[in-house]
Amino acid sequence: MSLAAPVMSSSVESLPTHESDAVRRDRMRRRNGSLAVFAVLAALAVVFLREVPSWMDSGIQRWAQDRYKWSITNRQTSPVFRWLFNPLTDFLTWSVEHTETLLLDLRWPGVVALIAAIGWRTGGVQAALAGAGAMVGVGVIADFDPAMRTLAIMTVSVVIALVIGIPLGVLSARSDRLERVLRVVLDTAQVLPIFVYFSPVQLFFGLKFAPAVVVTVVYALPPAVRLTNLGLRQVPVVANEVGHSFGATSLQQLFKVQLPLAKNTILLGLNQVIMMAFAIVVLASLLGTGDLGQSVLAGLQKQHVGQAFAAGMGIVLMAVALDRVSTGRPERPLSRQNRLPAVPRNWITPISVAAVALVVVLANAFDWRRFPSSLTYDISSPIDSAVDWVQRNLRKDVPIIGGTQAISDFLVIRVLNPMKEFLLWLPWLVIVVGIAFIGWLSRGWRLAATIAVCLLLIATMGTIPGGGGQIQMWDHAMDTLSQVLVAIALSVLIAFPLGVWAGRSDAVHRVLRPFLDIAQVLPQFVYLIPVVFLFSIGRAAGVVACVVYAVPPCIRLTALGMREVPTSPREAAISFGATGGQEMRRVQLPLARKAILLGINQTLLMVLATVIIAALVGAGALGLVSYEATSKPNLKFGQGVAGGLSIVLLAIMLDRLTQAWGTRPNREEKQSR
Amino acid sequence: MISVRDLWKVYGPRAQRIVGAAEADLPRGDLQARFGNVVAMRDISLDVAPGEVFVVMGLSGSGKSTLIRCITRLIEPTSGTVLVDGADVTAAGKDELLQIRRHKVSMVFQHFGLLPHRTLLDNVAFGLELRGVGKAERRERAGGVLELVGLPSMGDYKPHQLSGGQQQRVGLARALATNPDIMLFDEPFSALDPLIRREMQDEIVRLRREVSKTMMFITHDLSEALRLGDRIAIMRDGRFVQVGTPAEVVMEPADEYVANFVRDVPRSHVVPVDSVMGPASEGPFAGEVESGSKVREAVGLVAHSDLPVRVVSGGRTVGTLDRVGVLSVIATEES
Ligand SMILES: Nc1ncnc2c1ncn2[C@@H]1O[C@H](COP(=O)(O)OP(=O)(O)O)[C@@H](O)[C@H]1O
Ligand SMILES: [Mg+2]
Repeated sequence: MSLAAPVMSSSVESLPTHESDAVRRDRMRRRNGSLAVFAVLAALAVVFLREVPSWMDSGIQRWAQDRYKWSITNRQTSPVFRWLFNPLTDFLTWSVEHTETLLLDLRWPGVVALIAAIGWRTGGVQAALAGAGAMVGVGVIADFDPAMRTLAIMTVSVVIALVIGIPLGVLSARSDRLERVLRVVLDTAQVLPIFVYFSPVQLFFGLKFAPAVVVTVVYALPPAVRLTNLGLRQVPVVANEVGHSFGATSLQQLFKVQLPLAKNTILLGLNQVIMMAFAIVVLASLLGTGDLGQSVLAGLQKQHVGQAFAAGMGIVLMAVALDRVSTGRPERPLSRQNRLPAVPRNWITPISVAAVALVVVLANAFDWRRFPSSLTYDISSPIDSAVDWVQRNLRKDVPIIGGTQAISDFLVIRVLNPMKEFLLWLPWLVIVVGIAFIGWLSRGWRLAATIAVCLLLIATMGTIPGGGGQIQMWDHAMDTLSQVLVAIALSVLIAFPLGVWAGRSDAVHRVLRPFLDIAQVLPQFVYLIPVVFLFSIGRAAGVVACVVYAVPPCIRLTALGMREVPTSPREAAISFGATGGQEMRRVQLPLARKAILLGINQTLLMVLATVIIAALVGAGALGLVSYEATSKPNLKFGQGVAGGLSIVLLAIMLDRLTQAWGTRPNREEKQSR
Repeated sequence: MISVRDLWKVYGPRAQRIVGAAEADLPRGDLQARFGNVVAMRDISLDVAPGEVFVVMGLSGSGKSTLIRCITRLIEPTSGTVLVDGADVTAAGKDELLQIRRHKVSMVFQHFGLLPHRTLLDNVAFGLELRGVGKAERRERAGGVLELVGLPSMGDYKPHQLSGGQQQRVGLARALATNPDIMLFDEPFSALDPLIRREMQDEIVRLRREVSKTMMFITHDLSEALRLGDRIAIMRDGRFVQVGTPAEVVMEPADEYVANFVRDVPRSHVVPVDSVMGPASEGPFAGEVESGSKVREAVGLVAHSDLPVRVVSGGRTVGTLDRVGVLSVIATEES
C-alpha cells in the first residue's frame, strides 16, 4: 500500500479523521490476524507430520479406475454409450476418416488448388498465391499425407466448433445472463491445460480421432461464441430499429440485418477458431491420431529435434495457408474499389470450381499420388547437425553466459531444486494455511476458504507409484507449483522492465510490437522446439519454454496497462515539477497497477498450462502424471483423473489468488464502504 | 390518422406504479435516486389529421424520440393508447403490429440507419423485401423511388460512397418505397450541415405536394419546425407545453419557456398573409402571393411599389395586402 500516490493525497487530506481511523482499524485487524494465524501455523506444524497422512486418501483413483473398467465392459450394453457416446464417437471418426480420404483423393495438387481457390474468393489473387505457396511448402518440408490427416481433424473440429459456436453466440447476444454463464464456462475450459481433458474424453470417446476432435473443439469453441456474440452486440442500435420499424420478424432481423452487419467480426472469429484448432490439434495427437502432430511430439520426446522441426514447420505452414485464405479482404478503400478487378466477381466461383476439378482429374489421371520427392527438402538433417553443433559448442565454456548446460544446471540445481525441496520440506498443512492466509490478507475469508479447499482436495488425491515407492500426489503438485513460481518469477523479472519501458517509450513499443504480435499467434508446441534444440530435455527446458511463452504477453499487458493511464494526471505531475522518474513511480505505475496485476494473472495461467505441457519435454510432475495415463489406461486411468483434477484445483487456486490482487479494492474504495 | 391518448413511458423497475402518481412529479434526480425510475414521456395526447404535418420540437432529452418510437412500439409505452388509421397499435398482437409496420407506417432516422452491407437499391427495397415482394418487382419499385428523391441510376452504390445528404435521401426513399400512409421522421436532418438541411427541407415540402402523406416530424430546430409544420408541439421534460400552428406558437406562447424559445423569430416569417389582409379589390397590384404564405413573402413587393399586393387562392383574388399591413406585422418584432 505504499502506492498511495500524491495524486490521491488531496482526498486523504480532506478526510483526515476517517483516514487515520480506518488505517488504524485496518492495521489492528491485520496484526491480530497475523498473530493468530502464525500461532495456528506453528501448532499445526508441530502436531502434524510433514507428509500428507495416508488416511486422507479419498480413494478417487480406485473409484475412477473402476469407472473406466466398467466403461470398457459395458461399452456395447450401457444405454449412455449405446445411444449417446458410441454414435457420437462413430460420427466423429467417420467424419475425420472421410475428410481425410477426400483430401487424399484430391491428390496434393488438388488440395493446393482448392486452397488457392478459396483464397481467391475471400482475399483475391494475393491470398490465393500465399495460401497455395504455404501449402506447397507443407509438402516440401513435411510429409503431405500425415499433414492431410491433421488437416482433416482440424477441419472437422473447426466445422463442429462453428456449428455449435455460432448459434450459441447468437443466443448469448440475446441474453446477458447466458452470455455471463457461457463466458465463465468457456474461459475456464480454455485456460485449463489440455492434459486435464485426456482422461474424461478417453472414458467417453476412447482413443484416436473422436477424442482428439472433442478436445480440439473445447478450445476452438470460445472464439466462435465470443466473436459472434460481440459482432451481434456491436450492431448499431439504429440498424436494429430500422429492421423492426419496417416490420422484420425476429428471424428476418437476424438474417437480414444482424448477421450481415456482424459478418466481419464473425469471420475474425473463424480465423481465430482455425488458429486455435491448429495449436491444439498437435497436442491432441497424444490421443493416438498418427498425424503430423504426433511426429512433432514424438520428435520432441525422443530429442529428434530435426523431425519435430520439420513436422512443426509443416503444421505452421498449413496454419499460415488457412490463415491467409480465411482472413478475407479488409474493406478496400474507395479509390481502389472503383478499379475493376481483373475478373468479374461473380465469375470467380465457377472458374475456381472448374480449375480445381480439372487439377483433380489430371492429378488422378497421372496418379500424382505422392508429393514428388524431387521437390521435397529434408530440413531435419541440417537441423540435427545444428543440434549436434550446439551440443558440442554451446553447452559449456561459452564466455559470459556459460553455455546452455550451465544455465540449465544453474536453473535445476540452484533454483528449481531448492524451491521444490523447500515446498516439500514445509509441513503440508503449513502450506495450506499459509497460502490461505495470503488469500485472507488479499481478499478476506471467502478467498481463504476457496484456497484451503483446493489445497485440501489435492491432498486427498492419493499416491502414485514412482521412484521405487509411492509418491504423494501432493508432492507432484508441489513440484508443479515450484516450476510455476520459478517460471512466473523469471517471466516477470524479464517482462516487467521491458513492459514498463515499452509503456513509456513509443520507439521501444514500435520495435517490440511486431514480435509480440507474432508471439501471440504461435501455439505452445512451437516454443518447445527451439527450447529442446538449445536445452535438451528436462525441467530446466520446461521452465525456459514457459518463460519464452509467457514473456511476450506479460510485456504486452504491462505496456498496455501503462499506456491506458490517462494523460491528465501525468501531465499534472509534470506541471508540478515531477521528474520523469517521479512521474512514473508516483503516478503512472500506481495508476497502472491493477491492469498490470491482471496481466500477471493472465500470464500465470499461461505459465501453468505450459508447465503442464512441458511434461512432454521432461518437466515431469502433474503434467506427466496426467498425460502418461492415456497410453496405459488399463493401469493408470485413475492416476490420470487424479492428476488432472489436481491441475484443475491448482489452477483455480492460483487464478483466484492473483485475480484478487488485480482487483483488490484500493484504499479509497475501502474507505467509502 | 394518428391518435394518441394519455401516453406514458417510464423507465426503471415497476414503472406502472409511477404513471399518474404523485411520484411522477418528483424532480428527475429524486425519482431516479429513490425509485430508480426515469419518466421519459408523460401524459401525451395528440391527433394528427390525414395529410397533416405534425412537428414535435424540444431540446435533447425532452422525450421526442421516445414519443415517435411509441407510435409503432419500437419502444413499448408504459401506458396509454395509440391508434394508427383506426387500428389500436397498443393492443395489437405480434402479427398485426408487423402488418402495421410493414404497410402503414415508415420511419426516417436521425443517423440515416442505412444498412452498410446493402446497395442503395437493396436498402430502398428493404421494406418490400421484408414483406415478401419478389426480387424483380421490388427492385423496380425501389429504382423508381430513388429517382423520385433525386438519385437516379445510383442503385448499385454502397451507402458509404455517398455524402450525408445523399444518404438521407436514400433513407427517405426507403421510407417512401413501402408507400405508407404515415411517415415518421426522427430528427432526420440534424446531422446535416445547414445548406444541405435546407435542401432536404425543400424536398419534404415538395414531397408533400406530390404525394400526400401524414407526417410526424421530430426536430430540435425551431426554424425547421416553423417551415414544415402545420402544427407544432413544444415538448419539455416529457410533456407537451404547447400545441398550435406556427403563428399561434410564435404570437401567443403558452409560457415563459416557449416565449424564450420563439423570442428571436421574426413575426413576418410565421404570420400568414390571410390574417392581416384587407378585403379584395380591383387592381392595379404590385404582384400576388398565395393565400397561406407568410407575410415576409410580400415584403419585397410592397417595398418597391406603392401599390398593394393581391392574395390569391386557386387563381381567385381573396384579399389585398398593403404596405401598412405588412409593416404592422414587422413592427411587433421589435418588442
Ligand atoms: N433506456 C433508458 N433508460 C432510462 N432512461 C432513458 C432510456 N432511454 C431514454 N431515457 C431517457 O428518456 C429521456 C427522453 O429521451 P429521448 O426520447 O431520447 O429524448 P430526445 O429524443 O428528445 O432527445 C431522456 O432523458 C433519456 O435520458
Ligand atoms: Mg432523439
